Amino acid sequence: MNHSAEHLTPHGRHLLNRRGFLNGTATALGSIALTNLLGGDGLLAAPGSLIDPARPYAPRPPHFRAQAKNVIVIFCAGAVSQLETWDYKPELIKWDNQPLPGGPSVTFQGPAGNLARPQYAFRPRGQTGKMVSDLIPHLAELTDDLAFIHSLTSKSNTHGPAENFLSTGFVLDGFPSLGSWISYALGSESQDLPAFVSILDPRGVPQNGSNNWGPGFLPAAFQGTTFSAKDPVRHLAAPGVSAEADRAARSLLQRMNSRHLEQNPSDSKLAARIASYELAARMQLSVPAISDLSTEPAHILKSYGADDTSNPIKAGFAKNCILARRLVERGVRFVQLFNGAYASGGELNWDGHSKLKEQYDKHAAILDQPAAALIRDLRQRGLLEETLVVWCTEFGRMPFFQKGAQGRDHNPDGFTCWLTGAGVKRGVSHGLTDELGQKAIHDLHPLYDLNATILHLLGLDHERLTFEHNGVQRRLTNVEGELIRQILA
Amino acid sequence: MKLFTRQRRHMPLVLLGLLLVWTADGEMRPAPTEHWSFQPVTRPIPPTASDREWPRNEVDRFILARLEKEGLKPSPETDRVRWLRRVSFDLVGLPPTPEQVESFVQERRPDAYERVVDELLNSPRYGERWAQHWLDVVRYADTHGFEVNTERPHAWPYRDYVIRAFNRDTPYDRFIREQIVGDALGEDAATGFLITASVLLPGQIGADEVSKRLARQDALDEIVVNLGQTFLGLSVGCARCHDHKFDPISARDYYALQAFVAGVEYEDRDVRTPETEVKRRDEKALEARVAELDRQLAQFVPVARPKTGNARASRAQENVEHFPAVTAKFVRFTIHETSLHPTLGLIEPCVDEFEIFTDEPQPRNVALATHGTKVTASGSRTSDRHKLEHLHDGKYGNGWSWMANSAGRGWVQFELPEPTRLAKVIWSRDREGGFNDRLATAYTLAAGASPDTLQTLVAVPPPRPAVNARVNTDRFAPVKAKRVRFTIRETNNLEPCVDELEVFDPAGTNVALASTGTTVTSSGDTVVAERHELRFLNDGEYGNSRSWMSAERGRGWVVLEFAQERLIDRVIWGRDRKAEFSDRLVTNYVIEVAASSGEWRVVADASDRATQLLGDKAPANPLAGLDADETKPATRLLDEKKTLESELRAGAEGRLAFAGKFRAPDTIHLLNRGDPEQPRDEVVPAVLSVLGSTKLARDTAEQERRRVLADWLASPENPLTARVMVNRLWQGHFGSGLVDTPSDFGRNGTKPSHPELLDWLASEFVRSNWSVKQLHRLLVLSATYRQSSKPGAQATATAQDSEVRLLWRFPPRRLDSEPIRDALLAVSGKLDLKMYGRGFDLFNQRGGLSGFQPVESFRGEGLRRMIYAHKVRREREAVFGAFDCPDAGQSTARRRESTTPIQALNLFNSRFTLEQAEALAARVQAEVGAEVAPQIRRAYQLALSRNPSAAELAEATPIVATHGLPVLGRALFNSNEFLFVP
Repeated sequence: MNHSAEHLTPHGRHLLNRRGFLNGTATALGSIALTNLLGGDGLLAAPGSLIDPARPYAPRPPHFRAQAKNVIVIFCAGAVSQLETWDYKPELIKWDNQPLPGGPSVTFQGPAGNLARPQYAFRPRGQTGKMVSDLIPHLAELTDDLAFIHSLTSKSNTHGPAENFLSTGFVLDGFPSLGSWISYALGSESQDLPAFVSILDPRGVPQNGSNNWGPGFLPAAFQGTTFSAKDPVRHLAAPGVSAEADRAARSLLQRMNSRHLEQNPSDSKLAARIASYELAARMQLSVPAISDLSTEPAHILKSYGADDTSNPIKAGFAKNCILARRLVERGVRFVQLFNGAYASGGELNWDGHSKLKEQYDKHAAILDQPAAALIRDLRQRGLLEETLVVWCTEFGRMPFFQKGAQGRDHNPDGFTCWLTGAGVKRGVSHGLTDELGQKAIHDLHPLYDLNATILHLLGLDHERLTFEHNGVQRRLTNVEGELIRQILA
Repeated sequence: MKLFTRQRRHMPLVLLGLLLVWTADGEMRPAPTEHWSFQPVTRPIPPTASDREWPRNEVDRFILARLEKEGLKPSPETDRVRWLRRVSFDLVGLPPTPEQVESFVQERRPDAYERVVDELLNSPRYGERWAQHWLDVVRYADTHGFEVNTERPHAWPYRDYVIRAFNRDTPYDRFIREQIVGDALGEDAATGFLITASVLLPGQIGADEVSKRLARQDALDEIVVNLGQTFLGLSVGCARCHDHKFDPISARDYYALQAFVAGVEYEDRDVRTPETEVKRRDEKALEARVAELDRQLAQFVPVARPKTGNARASRAQENVEHFPAVTAKFVRFTIHETSLHPTLGLIEPCVDEFEIFTDEPQPRNVALATHGTKVTASGSRTSDRHKLEHLHDGKYGNGWSWMANSAGRGWVQFELPEPTRLAKVIWSRDREGGFNDRLATAYTLAAGASPDTLQTLVAVPPPRPAVNARVNTDRFAPVKAKRVRFTIRETNNLEPCVDELEVFDPAGTNVALASTGTTVTSSGDTVVAERHELRFLNDGEYGNSRSWMSAERGRGWVVLEFAQERLIDRVIWGRDRKAEFSDRLVTNYVIEVAASSGEWRVVADASDRATQLLGDKAPANPLAGLDADETKPATRLLDEKKTLESELRAGAEGRLAFAGKFRAPDTIHLLNRGDPEQPRDEVVPAVLSVLGSTKLARDTAEQERRRVLADWLASPENPLTARVMVNRLWQGHFGSGLVDTPSDFGRNGTKPSHPELLDWLASEFVRSNWSVKQLHRLLVLSATYRQSSKPGAQATATAQDSEVRLLWRFPPRRLDSEPIRDALLAVSGKLDLKMYGRGFDLFNQRGGLSGFQPVESFRGEGLRRMIYAHKVRREREAVFGAFDCPDAGQSTARRRESTTPIQALNLFNSRFTLEQAEALAARVQAEVGAEVAPQIRRAYQLALSRNPSAAELAEATPIVATHGLPVLGRALFNSNEFLFVP
């Protein structure tokens, strides 16, 4: 087992050494005992990679050699229209304002209207010449670096279940999220920060709230911790308690616990709790430090748009992007970066039902420059070599407008996400929707496949990463999932 | 299931033994029916072990025989205190009081242990603890789940039913029947069981038929999954898409189970008992009276004072009130409203000093206690800093202040030793300038010869209530109008939306209605057909789905033009009178009227309204701002209304339960791959073919279907039912079950560690008329349960059975989240034992843009046991949720026990812990006085059921002396000794 007490204070080290259960010579039986601490079935497929309850975030080996160490998922809540961004459909221009023969009369929100042309001009980008929309000029400049999947499908056309499906592989509530699975499997390189951080959009919580970062039935240790450049971690400090009284309580607690441990020397759960207070104490220092962007040089703030006083939401999202970079720099395994908040008639997220163009103008201004700067910054620092960046959204939108409206309804049958960074082919487009962009027709990939591919890039076999729950060996990909090999480098 | 074919080689090591048998069979085929759990329950004879002294009952004979077989010995008996703590946490989820500890230690009667167990089982606290285990399994919550996660306001009668059922020791077979067909058994709320899952509400399902069919299938699936895993310990849900590949459950079996419940809808149902029927009749009269009172009260709305605003603004540091000299013996200061605390909102007012000066060349402060003046108050929240006597002690600052005990209001009254001529008062929140929360912003100062003859000297009226999302009234002096213009200047966000704009004449007729000939025009509309249209502004229908939305963000106007000139005196408008939406709320506006010929004239605007939005909460004092003539009759009406409403509330409690509506069953088809768009042949209700042959005709009535299902599940012949339940009970006491996959008794689950014991317990359970309490007695009175948890000298046992599955010692474990919170409150003395009813809120705000904002400081109902919290699905409680508290998304048959730094941060730093540490300190001081050593001793007794050792006392003494007693409480609440079942 790979454990070390070097991160503990001398006091904690002393306790743990006395205990002897973390002295590096644990027997196989000792290891089984440790596994049991996580509820009896905290097992990983790879033999020997057991979870040490005193260090649940200790790095653990993957199933096979990983291409990527860390992941940043840029999660655009509300369902971004593929037709206004990455999936160029010139036929739609031709058929603009015509009814779709044989099309559905009613879709998710109500009666369907006429086909509508893409609301933005497209132009060829970079070496590949791929057509990308003017909606997102900064991201479009990176086209040569991105691997697009145009043929994704979802199992639901409703935001809640569909965000569940994207984040957990199930449309129902209560299953572990992608970040929880990954931090459960791999731990983290950082021992002073949570393994899985969810950064909320400045406008609020995403549509499906904490289900996107919930641990489901995995141990609570693997839940995403939410904070952002604006909002700190909860309970980092005791309100209204002086530093002296705080220290006094801490030292009293330490003495109580160490005495109790001496009286119950066999119980490794007790030592694990003591260690958890030490990690908590480190987080009290490390979290404010990492959230303090004042140490970032002006040119960095400017490149992300974090200094854009004319658009405070964009500046806020830009700061979150910088925070995401700082987190992976420090070895945090999984960062979920939200763009877009709760349902609001498309005002606060990408749910463009009625005034798509007017709203997307605002949303894109918030997303575009900061997200593009993040990828550039990661590349420049060499972090993109070991970091996977995923841009995703829960489903796409219809090629026709809704009746009487200037926006598009939900469409789970063909939409686009992209990946870039560690282990991903550059400048590739995979999969195809029909000529109007309504349904995927070639190389269909349910979102299971996207999740399977993300796990693969981290060295994890989505069929082997399992957890027993009520009689079923549960997986992120349920009983599905095929690798999207065409985009792997 | 594809899953199992593809991944069997990767199954965890523990399961390999089981799997090898299976994989040796080669390819997929229906799993054999010889699996142990499908065999009839037997009644093995308890074995006789060589140690005849140790066993106390049959349980011990099975345990000991196995230990001896493995060459192990049981551990010595634990001491009485540890056993008492263990059994108290296990049965009632609370620590024993020091008095209970003392009396048990002293108890010399031979049945001392039995007495404790009976006392605990008879305590209502027992049902509160064990209902939680059940609710975990059925994933109970008070919200609907999914993205909107709206409140499920009548879910709790089912939670209360479960608590009552455990307390009454409802026989388990009856408990099953009630939960499936309680509508036929006089237990209407019990069928809440069927629909505990998340569900998409009608408006959240797509408008297309495919979405609707899928949603219905998902809803039915959740019922079947719940039935299977809860009662049978089988994952029948796996057969929704394919035949189950481990267990002999075919897709046809699965859909046949659906057919039993195909008439169940996720809806509220009336709860009918003889009592509720009587109440229902009384209610009609009460409701009519409340409606009449509302009509009358509607007249008593403070008149708008546009643009005059609230001229006075009180200051935290000093307020000098001059008034014409008056002779008085009594002076009264009444606070109507205070500034809002940035996070806590409206909290108790605080005044640090109140000075009353004489009308003399050298004014003297005659309020001082030293002058002989007495003071009384509406109520005081007392602590070291805040005491009533601080109000006139001549000392300034927060540390020497008075705090009322009611949010936003309160009064103090001074009685001078003799009538005195007065001319000035000075009062302040904090003369030292440190605090500006809790500041009185609206108040009345009065003085007189006696309390009954006070005359008002200074009156700072409160602003009119802030606008709220439901309904707002703007009243003005009667005026003739042909047109009324409502101009919106600001919203809380987005384009404004108004569900109805009403204009009343003094007789109370709404003259704005389109049906009266009134026409409406606007600055521009955002139209969503049949939802937001201009014509809905005055159509007489409320709610978001019949509302008007402006075309512009944050602004817009509408003009109502009457058929002829009208005399009007009020405008009533709302965002959503159905209380579902609070966005797009108009926060700044102006109302103008114009006569047939004439200019627009302002009659009301938002300038004199409070600016803090209260959401849906009613204003603290709805009559504030009325003049004296109106206040008296209005108060009378309001008081009557409050009384009637509380009667109605009490009557309505539990009237509706989210317990399923039952209707003609859907026709159920076998679905190819579980896809509702690929129906195959019709399926009739039938029990799992491996366990029976009961099958119903396709035209069997809805309730009869459920009755048959319940009978089959609750039958002693069903090999799974009793085994699964006794195993859950075992797990509740020993941390893991004899089968440690408590909701999977199928072939993918683990084998029982003691198969004979499991069968013996199951048969004993049925034999004792399915008495759950009887089973608890067997378990907690056993020698097995009495063992010490320390491994002691048994080093080999640790090596041989590190998981303690063989129970050679008692396996200690961390407390669950609810007992941790409950225990903190019990120890601090703050626990409110009020039972039943609607849950208290863990969050200030439900959903919406900023998510669920946790309540940080709990009082009142918030100090009840955590099982009475309004359980929000998917949102874990902010402090204790991190202790592996399930989020009610999926069934939790067994809680994890993880250890995380977030737990440490929460428990060490949260306001909750700090406040309970303060409360414990206050309690201990009250109980044993000011001396440090007895204080420490008492705190240890309360928290840990023991006295501190000399070393512990010596260690804590200087810390408590320097930093105060709360430091000790904070450490105790975080200590491992406190947090573990010993």
